[in-house]
Amino acid sequence: MNLPGAPTAVLPGQRRGHRDDPARRRLPPPGSWLRALRRRRWTVAAALAAIAGLALLVRSWRIDFFGFNSDEVVYAGQAASLAGNPGYTDLFPVFRAHPMLFQALLSPLFRAGEAGMSGRWAVAVIGVLTVLAVYPLGARLYNRRVGLLAALLLAVMPYHVIVTRQILLDGPMVLLSTLTFYCMVRYVQEQREVWYLATAGMLGLTMLAKETSVVLAGSLYAFLALTPAVRRPVRATLLALPALVVVFAAHPVSQALAGRSDSGRNYLVWQLFRRPNHPMSFYLENVPTAIGVLLLVAAAGGLWWARRHSSWRETLLLSWIAVPVVFFQLWPVKGFQYLLPVAVPVVLLGARALVLLPVPARLRWPGRGAPARPVPARAGRLIRLAAVALVASTLAASSWDAVSHQGRTTFLAGSGGVPGGREVGRWLTEHTPEGSVILTLGPSMSNIVRFYSQRQSYGLSVSPNPLHRNPSYVPLNNPDGWLRNNNLHYVVWDAFSARRSPFFADRLMTLVRRYHGRVVHTEYVGTPGASGRVTPVPVVVVYEVRP
Amino acid sequence: MIRPTHVPSSAAASRWARRTTHVALLACLALSAGPSAALARPAPTPGGATPAPGTPAPTPRTATPVEHFIFLMQENHTFDNYFGTRPGVDGLPKDACMPVKRGVPKPCVAPFHIGKLGAIDLDHSADAFRTQYNGGRMDGFVEGVSKQGKDGRMAMAYYDERDLPYYWNVADEYVLFDRFFSSSNSGSIRNHMYRVTGGPGATGKAETIPAQGWGDIPTIFDRLEEAGISWKFYVQNYDPTITFRSRVEEENIDRGAQVIWVPLLAYARYVDDPRLSSKIVDLDEYYTDAARGDLPAVSFIAPAGNSEHPPGNIGSGQNLVRALLTQLMRSPDWSSSAFLWSYDDWGGWYDHVTPPQIDRYGYGFRVPALLVSPYARRGYVDSTTLDFTSALKFIEVNWGVKPLASRDAKAQTFLGAFDFAAPPRPGVLLSAERVSVALHRPDPRPVYASYAVAVGLVAALVVTAALRGRRRSR
Repeated sequence: MNLPGAPTAVLPGQRRGHRDDPARRRLPPPGSWLRALRRRRWTVAAALAAIAGLALLVRSWRIDFFGFNSDEVVYAGQAASLAGNPGYTDLFPVFRAHPMLFQALLSPLFRAGEAGMSGRWAVAVIGVLTVLAVYPLGARLYNRRVGLLAALLLAVMPYHVIVTRQILLDGPMVLLSTLTFYCMVRYVQEQREVWYLATAGMLGLTMLAKETSVVLAGSLYAFLALTPAVRRPVRATLLALPALVVVFAAHPVSQALAGRSDSGRNYLVWQLFRRPNHPMSFYLENVPTAIGVLLLVAAAGGLWWARRHSSWRETLLLSWIAVPVVFFQLWPVKGFQYLLPVAVPVVLLGARALVLLPVPARLRWPGRGAPARPVPARAGRLIRLAAVALVASTLAASSWDAVSHQGRTTFLAGSGGVPGGREVGRWLTEHTPEGSVILTLGPSMSNIVRFYSQRQSYGLSVSPNPLHRNPSYVPLNNPDGWLRNNNLHYVVWDAFSARRSPFFADRLMTLVRRYHGRVVHTEYVGTPGASGRVTPVPVVVVYEVRP
Repeated sequence: MIRPTHVPSSAAASRWARRTTHVALLACLALSAGPSAALARPAPTPGGATPAPGTPAPTPRTATPVEHFIFLMQENHTFDNYFGTRPGVDGLPKDACMPVKRGVPKPCVAPFHIGKLGAIDLDHSADAFRTQYNGGRMDGFVEGVSKQGKDGRMAMAYYDERDLPYYWNVADEYVLFDRFFSSSNSGSIRNHMYRVTGGPGATGKAETIPAQGWGDIPTIFDRLEEAGISWKFYVQNYDPTITFRSRVEEENIDRGAQVIWVPLLAYARYVDDPRLSSKIVDLDEYYTDAARGDLPAVSFIAPAGNSEHPPGNIGSGQNLVRALLTQLMRSPDWSSSAFLWSYDDWGGWYDHVTPPQIDRYGYGFRVPALLVSPYARRGYVDSTTLDFTSALKFIEVNWGVKPLASRDAKAQTFLGAFDFAAPPRPGVLLSAERVSVALHRPDPRPVYASYAVAVGLVAALVVTAALRGRRRSR
């Protein structure tokens, strides 16, 4: 079936044999294409297996080199608590800010002992599944080559690699958002209402992974609004919205049935009124390099040089990018991983551009007065191959660098594990009496220490004002009094929090001095100096304190 | 990442290796039983060999795995006053009601929770004891206080877990003694002397520190010195200028009680000999010694403002004990330590157990006493009849030093409160709240069920869409 207003000619690189491909009617005799199809399937399967292997390699390389960061310990702690792991039930509440789809999935892995790396492996596998899911999407939108190339680019994209090495909700959310995208493409191509319903249901599931993905509903709306050629059946819309609501209702319903109906509301209020945590330039400074500048250039260039061939596909891809970018740019709370859903449309656009890379048909060689000569088809292929190799290798090199580094004294939330955090937590477990209570500089290190040491901990910088703190955090209204009354036994200073909040770092050290602080443990990272010599720099210091 | 530096770990491993030897030694002690002379033998050297002349003296061995004994003396409470309402102990009788006048049953005052009433410093002199004891009839607790012009009913007030959450938590986890008597049926001076000498110090009627000090009455520290066993007397807010020479009467100078609570400061030799006086130190040193794993074999501790002496704040006393125990549990010495604390006299408060009168000076009424050690039995109530000299007896038994006087020679000790056959328990920093805040764990089943339904629903939609698409394409 052809869509009204759909392109009547196949775009270069567009999937052949497609329902909206007019050339489909001119198929060769079955005997020859069936063999070719089978051969191609095996080739594709082998290529996908290689890409999946590569994706798994970069996502699992030294996956346990650093312990969990604050967000990871929260999600792992929730999962362990949900599973009834006795080491975590008293320290981590089951319900916090987000729905529990992913945590419920993880919880069987964390039923006993320390909630460890199995969670990260689960996310890495989800990352690989996302890479594989990009292939049918690319193949359906354009062709198999675009699908394979997009999968390859996502496999080695630092942004996706970094996030899918951590127990964060964004990895699973992007897998589900990719499937939502796929359902939408199927709907557009097949115009069957059941795909429309499936899109809504899948979006609901995506929101159950992380509720911020509701912004993708805006992407779908923008796409439908900008593409009048796509049918918008009223009946299906009336059914799709309830489908989305019914699926997402698992979150509030489960909370209500489990006896915690107010947790979500508390978080919503806090999220709506909390102060900006990063400047407006945050995404511009961090995300393009993580996605890959060359890839972005390729995607943008492709859109430009194939603008005359643009169709609903590019509108859908651009809607999938633009709405989250605009929304999160305006939203005061920013996070490194928040824009991850745009990774999939970016790799699709980039792959399309690289496959479509225009190579002049004739070239005038420099220094010769002769007329322009035709460029051989083989040379065109080589140029495209070189461009693909350049983009993919730069991405892979960035990813490899990101997964191989030895640790830094600075830390960007969501960008990986925290050097020294796990080690300090375990040290506290082994060397401090049960019942020890720990004061950290901020709530992030407090989470990490609590998770790994299974000791109660508090963040000094947690605001006593309920409007200015995460509802899960317990403030110490009078830390001085707590120390004086022997209710705090250790103080943990860390370089990452100290860099973010020098005021509280000073205050913490004042308390350390006042309460006879004695260094009992230090964690270092090696920092290469100008001479190339690695100098150990303390990143986490544990003080024993007493009244 | 560079591997971290670690604080040197405790010597627990090597101590643990010697535990078996200790148990064997204890068995020998049990066999040689009662006679203190037998107990006073120096601990045998490994293999029974005598050190060759000229070789350095070996570190004195202990008969038990306890290599560090710490003894804190707080002030002025009875067992019933602190633990009388605790289940499982010899606590307040249900029908207790103390006559306002001795020998006249009515009116009487029943024990009551002190609530928000402020504690007062009840009379706790030898005279008050005689009135309250009343020849063993134990019916003069109200009168003993009221005849001093104070509110006699206050003698019947008690504290409970609401006021003493930390002590009650300690009792849950370690050992509480419910037949631990103050050594003397009088006030602080004699009781503190029993604590360090096994005798009353001041004999006769007068209960005062002689102007020339305690002379040559031997102390447990003399014994330890002779045996080359390390010791220290830690004093909170220690002021070395306050000694028997600067204090004649308690009221003469501020903080004169330091000389009573640290009887060594009323000995010329402990004040004048720099080697001995250097072992009487500020309590701050306890924390640094414990942190370094340098606690001496025997430590005595005297409080200052945190003594719980009425009308002082008992909460601050708990804080002091908690801080001392916290530091001990964090110390490399924890695995070979025992911490005992008690109260120097009854403070005028009611206690229902008639104290045995084993000689002219005592016993006095029961006082609270608790033992914390990695070898202490968990949640154990020890009903052995004990007094302050039982602590001396423990030192004498453990380090093999001679008794000081007949009291400590005959005293029972608290070896039964330990379980040396079990491995040392890691320390537990107990809460200062009686009831820990238990988090309500939500029922996980609705969570799993809700998400399973959502996933199933979406899967069904997608499969339906895919299957319908296939059917049509056929």
